[in-house]
Amino acid sequence: MLKKIKKIIKKCIGKQNIFCMIRIKYICDKTYNNHKFINILKTIQKTKFYSNSKNKTGFSKLVKNIKIKDLKENENFYYNIDMFSVLVTPNEVMGNFCIDYSLFIENSLEELKNKISSKNNDFYMEELELINGIEIYLDRIIEKLKISKKYDVITNLENIKNCKAQSYTDALQRILFFNMLLWQTNHRLNGLGRLDKILIDYYDYDIKNGLLTKEKAKELLKEFLIILHRDFKIKSNVLLGDTGQIIEVGGIDINNNYLCNDLTYLFIELMEELKLPDPKVLVRASKYMPKELISESLKCILTGIGCPIFANDDVIIDKLINFGYDKEAAYNYGTSACWEPYIIGMSSAQNNIGSLNFMQPFIDLLENEDLSKFNNLDDLIDKYQTYLKKFVENLVLKINEITFEKDSLLSLCIANCVKDGKDISLGGAKYNNFGLTGVGLANVVNSMINIDEFIFKKNIMSFEKFNDIRKENFKNNDELLKKLKSNGLRYGEDNDMVVSLANKIICYTSKILENKRNSLNGKFKFGVSSPNYISDSKNFPASFDGRKIGEPFSVHISTDKSNGYTELVNFASRIDYNFNRFNGNVVDFFVTPNFIKDNFDKFIDFLIASIKVGFFEMQMNVVSSKKLIEARKNPDKFPNLVVRVWGFSAYFKDLPDEYKDYLIERALKNEGAI
Amino acid sequence: MMKDKVIVSSIQRFSLHDGPGIRTTIFFKGCNLKCPWCSNPENINFNIQEYFDGNERKYYGYEISLSDLEKEILKDKIYYENGGGVTFSGGDGLLPFKKIEPLLQKLQKEKINICVETSLVVSDELVNIAIKYVDTFIVDLKIIDEKNAYKINTNVSLYKKNIEKLFSNNCNVIFRIPLVPDYTYTVDNVSKILNFLKKYKPQLVQIFKLHRLGEKKYESLNMKMPEFKEITLEEINKLKEKIEILGIKVEYCQI
Repeated sequence: MLKKIKKIIKKCIGKQNIFCMIRIKYICDKTYNNHKFINILKTIQKTKFYSNSKNKTGFSKLVKNIKIKDLKENENFYYNIDMFSVLVTPNEVMGNFCIDYSLFIENSLEELKNKISSKNNDFYMEELELINGIEIYLDRIIEKLKISKKYDVITNLENIKNCKAQSYTDALQRILFFNMLLWQTNHRLNGLGRLDKILIDYYDYDIKNGLLTKEKAKELLKEFLIILHRDFKIKSNVLLGDTGQIIEVGGIDINNNYLCNDLTYLFIELMEELKLPDPKVLVRASKYMPKELISESLKCILTGIGCPIFANDDVIIDKLINFGYDKEAAYNYGTSACWEPYIIGMSSAQNNIGSLNFMQPFIDLLENEDLSKFNNLDDLIDKYQTYLKKFVENLVLKINEITFEKDSLLSLCIANCVKDGKDISLGGAKYNNFGLTGVGLANVVNSMINIDEFIFKKNIMSFEKFNDIRKENFKNNDELLKKLKSNGLRYGEDNDMVVSLANKIICYTSKILENKRNSLNGKFKFGVSSPNYISDSKNFPASFDGRKIGEPFSVHISTDKSNGYTELVNFASRIDYNFNRFNGNVVDFFVTPNFIKDNFDKFIDFLIASIKVGFFEMQMNVVSSKKLIEARKNPDKFPNLVVRVWGFSAYFKDLPDEYKDYLIERALKNEGAI
Repeated sequence: MMKDKVIVSSIQRFSLHDGPGIRTTIFFKGCNLKCPWCSNPENINFNIQEYFDGNERKYYGYEISLSDLEKEILKDKIYYENGGGVTFSGGDGLLPFKKIEPLLQKLQKEKINICVETSLVVSDELVNIAIKYVDTFIVDLKIIDEKNAYKINTNVSLYKKNIEKLFSNNCNVIFRIPLVPDYTYTVDNVSKILNFLKKYKPQLVQIFKLHRLGEKKYESLNMKMPEFKEITLEEINKLKEKIEILGIKVEYCQI
């Protein structure tokens, strides 16, 4: 039995396939019981694999065999990911993006084909084969639906081939269809884009002409969201819920007019009503946004589902333009995966291609340098920068070794691949800038503050001795550990020294990356939010901020203080996000539900002021420690408890224990209980 | 202590319960009254006080210059926009007003809304300064029955005189009534309070019952927080109604 499993796993790993990887993850997950384990094994055995051959692409074989599902009477859309039909993709498939669905809403496949057919090279041949494959797939679905007489759906599917979308429902079906194709072909972390903006003309037209009522529009949108949620387990990347299915709503246009319509509110209303962890909504906030939208967003946040998160247009857009994106593209930004700003439909960004662990070079320094020669903080920072440079350079080298899978579908979706006849994996996209996600910055800053305080200023012991104690995980040094944890100044405080220390490290990182180029000749960018605060800290040595071996790093831009919200936002707004430093910088905090409920209007004032102060992005967990502790003990009692983890929402019960514990710890700190 | 320095025990930003809007509350050390139920016992004494947290020596109170205090207050200026501002509390927030007058002038110039939480058992001089700068007075309404005044070391006639002054100067006043059986909540005192409210018709009355959140602080100061009888929700609602009948807005504050 074990041999057999190993063989299957080997086969799957070789294929670098997301569905397979997820199944392996389940198998390796020791908490999975035997019964489920056998089911998973059967699942893998049932799977058919499709790979490229001399004459045919794997995709064209897949579409001929893929399982077509019939629709139930009350279903208005076709969407079915066949997890038993798997495309073999030996290289890394580009993921973590957000296509511009209006491309498929505004154009039929026929029109897209016309743009291609006049040209003649391998790239265009493959694009044509892809579109033909999509048509075959559509025809097979249509044939199946004829049996159940789903003529409305059939018409919408026919339209994909022949004309631009004809209605609101048609447009929704198109988004679903191409989204389904992307998932089916191994693309992970699929953003959904600015759907209120994309859909509003169709919605308005249908309402105006009596073809749609507001109630019906809501019902259809509800079905749309439920469909997108349905397969969240197989769509998830590292943790359950991490799908990247983010819908951006609202946002300013080039003239600073705030775009906001019925659908903006409808998306938020449905989030509140459905209470699903996925898909989730990001509100593009601005000082120009209506107070009502903030109020509705806050009501939704109050449900505890961790959404919407806010991205501050007034801060972000300038940074994108300064970095080099076209003005129009920058104003139309969305996000990929969690909160990394992404140029919708134009980019091969790979926004979290590497983890920028600020702590690693700091530990390297402590391990390799003669600590007795350090007398002041400036010298220590200078040396740290040397190590940081080495670390970043190595990281870049490693990233540049990655080969990406050729990708006809994504090339069709992302500008300028078709225009220039170049596959996205070879740099065909208009923008090819890769992103790193920074973690551990707070731990480095707090460590340095503590070293400065206790070693350089108070001289309580030698730096070497201090380091020995750290290496021994502060064993028998509880008093010192307590002091390190509670020392006055901390990352997250709007104190000049703390801010300047953080900015110094950030700006230096920025400089190191400035002239580096990735394998697609794009630039690198980074941010100080990261999904890796637990994964990167596992078995990681203890640090002078009072973190013991293996304890998590600090989360994004956060604070240990209870209710220190204005302080934290002020701190975040003083971080320098210019140049290449905009790859996700989210303020993250806990609030108890009652705190918001009892102070709803004041909390709105707080959000309005915070936008003006200038946070980059903001997300919050609205839950009490009491509830989390109960749910940890009795998961069955809280099957639908949703929490915000790094950049997505998830069912609390689905999270690994270390994440549950860390959430509880942070909730307790917020309440001032520890 | 330097002339331009004051002793504060803490500065609480994003404070939502000490006046309108989002506020920064400054807790000064020192109070003239001795209410046995005080929830901030560390702020009764006017001086910096040493205490122990486990084995660690710590202090209640630290000196801060007026310019640093101003800096702290202005940090959240943008959050004050919708009616928020600074609240001077304590202890008695009004007691250091003579010393902080230069700061008050600056804050007024910066158009920062100023509230003070006070027992109003203070000198005429302090009241006169306060009237010049304070936008809203949050005034304790505790024992106004002369013969029981000793229980909290208050001075009813001084208090009444100061209240009269605030109202004759058209100041905004919010009354805060802690409901403590045997002290503020006695038949006699409640009836006096109702008459008092009837006379002045303040913009708002906040009533609350005691909590014991300060108990640990009592212990750290080697003091013991006394036990008190608790008022029932029914009694609270009854009193609330009686005040409402007078045409005055009442809030029951649950901490």
